[in-house]
Amino acid sequence: MEMEHSNKITLERQGGITVMDIRGDITAFSESFLNEAYKKANDQGATRILLKIDEDTYINSGGIAVLIQILAQTKKNNQIIGITGITDHFKKIFKMVGITKFADIHDSVEEALAAMA
Amino acid sequence: MQIESCYLFQGLTRPQIERIESIAKERFIKKGDWLFHEDQKATHIYLLKEGAIELVTKVEDAVDIPISIIRPDNGCLGIGALVEPYLYSLSARCMEDSNLLAIEQVKLQTLMQDDHELGCTIQRNLAQKLLARLKETRREIKIHFMNLVRSITF
Repeated sequence: MEMEHSNKITLERQGGITVMDIRGDITAFSESFLNEAYKKANDQGATRILLKIDEDTYINSGGIAVLIQILAQTKKNNQIIGITGITDHFKKIFKMVGITKFADIHDSVEEALAAMA
Repeated sequence: MQIESCYLFQGLTRPQIERIESIAKERFIKKGDWLFHEDQKATHIYLLKEGAIELVTKVEDAVDIPISIIRPDNGCLGIGALVEPYLYSLSARCMEDSNLLAIEQVKLQTLMQDDHELGCTIQRNLAQKLLARLKETRREIKIHFMNLVRSITF
């Protein structure tokens, strides 16, 4: 029997930035986990959110769709979004699908926190 | 991944597993190399023992859409070799140097025809996997659809 996928997502406030630490591959099954984490961040009044993705994380086409869904909400809520932790492989894909129009990609958490401050 | 750990071969008896082991061959593939391409004749099923292989599909000959990553814990690819017309439905690119077990399609089909219970077990496991993938694909379509609707209406 197929095991349903799950993500572990934690929120941490660093200065004025909410860091959303995402563990596990990101697929269509990540929708409920990401939406719940985003809702929590939003309810806490987050204006700047950093999506911290693990370097070993794989993001398939379903996962990209879920990220776009989240970014559409952040755009509507006028939030500033950064993404860090993705490999060069996924940086190319994110650029290709236009995610970089809605979120800046940073090479490290430190760089992201400095740029988003 | 051991043969008996692969979802395709769950429920097979020890003698049946041994018959499959007897037709499996080790294969090494380097990072960056392609294992197979979409629409190519599916000559083998592969079990991943070590490494990582990405499954992609090409759009407009220029864009590779990431579909899945195969790691040793979920390590089976090339299941087009079990379903007519025996073509690979995706392309497979090696993300890390990998060790695989290659099972030749013709030899596996012969085993499945000679032992109907073995064949039936494999096809049942395959059907469950394909249904799970269909569920995931439908879920993805819903998300894409709603993204499209929201982009039009906002």
